Amino acid sequence: MKLAKQTKRGFQYELDGEDAESLRFLVRQFPISVFSPANISKTDSGSKSEEREKLINESLLAHRMELKRKARQLVMREKFKTSDGKQFYRISLPARETMLQILNDIRVESWRILGEPEDPEASVFRLTGDKFKYYHFMRLAGYFEYHFLNLDEERG
Amino acid sequence: MPSLTEPSVIPRRTVKSDTRSRDQFAPTYYVVCWNDPVNFMVYVTHVFMKIFGWERQKAQKHMMEVHEKGKSVLVREGAEKAEFYVQQLQGYKLQATMEPAE
Repeated sequence: MKLAKQTKRGFQYELDGEDAESLRFLVRQFPISVFSPANISKTDSGSKSEEREKLINESLLAHRMELKRKARQLVMREKFKTSDGKQFYRISLPARETMLQILNDIRVESWRILGEPEDPEASVFRLTGDKFKYYHFMRLAGYFEYHFLNLDEERG
Repeated sequence: MPSLTEPSVIPRRTVKSDTRSRDQFAPTYYVVCWNDPVNFMVYVTHVFMKIFGWERQKAQKHMMEVHEKGKSVLVREGAEKAEFYVQQLQGYKLQATMEPAE
């Protein structure tokens, strides 16, 4: 996968068939876990803080539902165009932010399912079955994040 | 001692008008981002730039602080704005909290 074109509105990436299929597959898995409420303070434990935490978590849950709805649209077949035997994927700037949030949610939640290892790479040989699947999800999400941040281009 | 016939001017009590708005007395919060071993450094920089509108250099400085010191205080804001930032950062799956500033 590589950046083929950049405009003010967004980006166009060139992918091979395997990358295109992997991206579609991965994004369709979202969300890979149930929503787990976030702690919003480490030192504030008053009733106001609890109320605040409840409201933020409600909002984060609604946001995740919205991401789920958008995930399906982001990888619809029509988003991938074939030209001269190559596949192209076009994405607008706001949609890229949505894509990054979806990919990073998959990445972070996979890491949590793996037991939040300090060094995720070090534990790979001990993984079996389902755990290995989540390790793969984490790696794959990271691979696409890297390309959607256009880091290959920045390195020039 | 002044005579009684002399006009006496009682000095008016001067009350300093308080020009501070009510917001200035409201509690403020530090928005803090915490380190974790899963989020890419470049991703964290990108998120800081997006949410706070910072230049890359400033975003990278805070990202490095998270990476090296375990946390970085990103901004100090009133409750409502701090809540907004925490929600935005958590939406990108960064570990962010708001801690009372005083």
